[in-house]
Amino acid sequence: MVVLKREEMLSLAEDTVGSALKGGADEAEAFAYQGLTNNVVIERGQIARSSRIIDRGVGIRAITNKAVGFSYTNVLESKEAIEETVRKALSAAKASKPDGDWHSLASRKPSVPVEKTYDRSIVELHSEDLVKVASVMLDAAEKTDKRVFPIEGGAGASYLSTAIANSNGVAGFDHGTIIECSLATVGQQRDEVTPVCFEFNAERSYNIDPEWVGKEAARLAASALKARKMETKSTNVIFTQFAFQGLLYFTLVNAVKADYVQRNQSVFKGKMGEKVASEIVTIYDDGLFSGGLRTWKFDGEGVPQQKTLIIEQGVLRNFIYDNYAAKKEGKESTGNATRAGYLSTPNVEATNFHFMPGNKSPEELVSEVDEGLLVYYLQGAHSSNPASGEFSVVANPAWKIENGEIAYATKGAMLAGNIFQALKNISALADNERKIGQLVAPWVLVENVKVIGK
Amino acid sequence: MEDILIKVVDGASQKFDAEYAEVRAQKLSKTMLTLKEGRVEAAKQGIENGAAFRVLVNGAWGFASVGTLNFETLNEAISGACKMAKAASSRLKTPIKLIETKAVNDKVVVRPRKDPSKVPIEDKINTTLAMNNVILGYDNRVKSCTIDYLDLTGTSCFINNEGAYIEQDKLYVWSRITATAKQADVFTFSREEIGSTSGSEVFDVETPEIVGERVAKRAVEQLKAKPPKGGTFPVVLGPNVVGVFVHEAFGHLAEADLTLSGSILLDKLGKKIASEVVTLYDDGTMDGAFGSFKYDDEGTPTQKTLLVKEGIVVGLMHSRETAQKFNAKPTGNMRAEDFRVEPVIRMRNTFMEPKDYSFEELVNGIKFGYYLKSFRGGQANLDGTFQVGIQEAYEIVNGELGKSVRNASISGNTLETLFKVDAVGKDFELWPGRCGKGQTAFICGGGPHVRVKGVLVGGGA
Repeated sequence: MVVLKREEMLSLAEDTVGSALKGGADEAEAFAYQGLTNNVVIERGQIARSSRIIDRGVGIRAITNKAVGFSYTNVLESKEAIEETVRKALSAAKASKPDGDWHSLASRKPSVPVEKTYDRSIVELHSEDLVKVASVMLDAAEKTDKRVFPIEGGAGASYLSTAIANSNGVAGFDHGTIIECSLATVGQQRDEVTPVCFEFNAERSYNIDPEWVGKEAARLAASALKARKMETKSTNVIFTQFAFQGLLYFTLVNAVKADYVQRNQSVFKGKMGEKVASEIVTIYDDGLFSGGLRTWKFDGEGVPQQKTLIIEQGVLRNFIYDNYAAKKEGKESTGNATRAGYLSTPNVEATNFHFMPGNKSPEELVSEVDEGLLVYYLQGAHSSNPASGEFSVVANPAWKIENGEIAYATKGAMLAGNIFQALKNISALADNERKIGQLVAPWVLVENVKVIGK
Repeated sequence: MEDILIKVVDGASQKFDAEYAEVRAQKLSKTMLTLKEGRVEAAKQGIENGAAFRVLVNGAWGFASVGTLNFETLNEAISGACKMAKAASSRLKTPIKLIETKAVNDKVVVRPRKDPSKVPIEDKINTTLAMNNVILGYDNRVKSCTIDYLDLTGTSCFINNEGAYIEQDKLYVWSRITATAKQADVFTFSREEIGSTSGSEVFDVETPEIVGERVAKRAVEQLKAKPPKGGTFPVVLGPNVVGVFVHEAFGHLAEADLTLSGSILLDKLGKKIASEVVTLYDDGTMDGAFGSFKYDDEGTPTQKTLLVKEGIVVGLMHSRETAQKFNAKPTGNMRAEDFRVEPVIRMRNTFMEPKDYSFEELVNGIKFGYYLKSFRGGQANLDGTFQVGIQEAYEIVNGELGKSVRNASISGNTLETLFKVDAVGKDFELWPGRCGKGQTAFICGGGPHVRVKGVLVGGGA
């Protein structure tokens, strides 16, 4: 299947908008998406699979009488299929109900440059190259500790491109690459199996370190052996980025979305300019973060992405907006509309949620804790109360810290609290920031977290 | 279409020496709605056509997915898959083999009473709007209501080089309804899901009035609820929580790919892992249930699989690959969300078999504990640690239901907890849900009310 080029993608989007207008839409927008992914998959200690997935299509929003209809198709070979999709978007709009708050689609803005989002060498990778990456990772894990079993993982390379056009003159094309490798392991010894330990490295340019991933995934699993139960008490907790991402994704990230605020679902409603976190906390939503996993020229509505200050030294400064939520308040979109490829309408979502790092090394951070927990992953973060921020989760794996040193792995400790209270109890930040999904953050030390043990 | 697919699949074994080759060609249509406080965010309709190829060459898998049914592209895709499999096989220690099965030829046609593809989109909007109105009209402390709706119809055609030919209709109707309520500084959240493979008639049973009231009432009642005490307590689990517990805490460990990855069940086959009142099934044959279907995406007929019989592990959920490793039979659990992804071992409708206790008898003996009625989410780990977040719970004080409790969650080790199940109720409910394992599968979980002697309850801050 031939890759669609810039001009083909753009004209697909523009022509589709044209047909929708001709068909009677008041406004129209088309979002064309193409994704090519090559994967090599590790299963139970060996490279067992290789795959290639090509997915592309176009999604159309048609607006008639302030009602929005949407339709998509992945049948791009025939003009008729696209015309049929346009008709479906229009009929969906006609069947729908007018929305009094609908203003208009996004308008044209000057484009912005982005850095380190495309690397041609990733596009040119073959299965054989990815097999090498996966082998390096697997070998490194096996060499690190004999008690460790690599259960799954792999290496993947993707090329993505998008084009958008709307009836307000928006027209844009962007493309980018992502390469990643990951390894999940368990430690096994006599009757004991550790929880799954996981490491990964994802970048927009071809500079991943599979050897580090393999070693680290194995080191974690080995050190998770001989786990002991904890006492119930309130204590200091260092959250690694994996654990922190889990907690924030379902709570804080939603609370700063303008639509959540407008719909009374955010505890931050009416709190603009107020202190909502410890004064060492500064957070940006940075859609232009160099080499960021969510860095693109424009968002799912064609609005240029931008860097937005969310929390400044603990004080709430801004919410994030898509075009609809912004226009409802007479504001401008912050470029935070995301889409699931061509399959969905835009939603407000964070880009690179950048939790600014501190200046302590992770070792220093640990050394400052007399008694506490180092939590790598959380089980059940998605069952947090998204409205109130209350969480009740399992720290698994986690390690007990005693007198500034990691003492032993813990088993089955539950953490309970409220993320918005926890933000106020952050007392130190490490300097080891890294990218995990939408989060860019360091290790974070939170005081006074309730741990429920035996 | 059939001829083209057979040609493409046969080409793989002839030209590339594939030991095994299969294609899954699908034509799918979806209607989706999102309503927020009665505002139809967008009415959505979409079409997806595509094909997925899986080949086994030199003992390694190759997989290719393309969003088209064009002959040239399909041919290109399957030869790509064979070359990739060859590349992957270079580092193979143990070649992958499939257990032999009988190739099936069948055509499965669904006959819904109300075919979602024939229900006008206006009617779907009106059903969801009616639900919204019940929820927002229930109490003025209900502040927001989000309703997602999806129906999926289409066909999936499975062909392999062993002579299997299965054409199967697909039909799913699903909705998720969430509401938040607020009073002073207290925020609450409530959710429900509806899911069926029978047709749009599911809304005649799960009517907007019934579901709407269930969602809204919970959000409002939670406003006066208090956080639980943290610690180990006796609990009674409602069928909804039993379902997610059985699915998360036990089911995933019994998916044979995860069992082989080192789950704590690996050396427990044929051994006692639960008290003798515990019998567990994973059943793909339940009529209209959200996790039911006739054939899995490897061409194996679905079945009712007995996993635990009176406390003893007697079965696992198998693909043809894992069945070969265990010298067992494939159980029809290989499912792929769509043509973009490979089939993996997934659960269907997973439940605990009812016994003989009434609800009153279960609660009766408990001095202080919790009744956990409805879950918010759950997650398991290979070491047997499970977590289930609870959205509706009550105290049990001296054998009677007491005040309502919010944001509880339970955790523990699966095997320890299964041994502590000391009484199983005689009622039965099955609840629809979605399960993530790299891709989404529609499932059900359920059972009767169940008493557990002691489980760790995560308290509030």
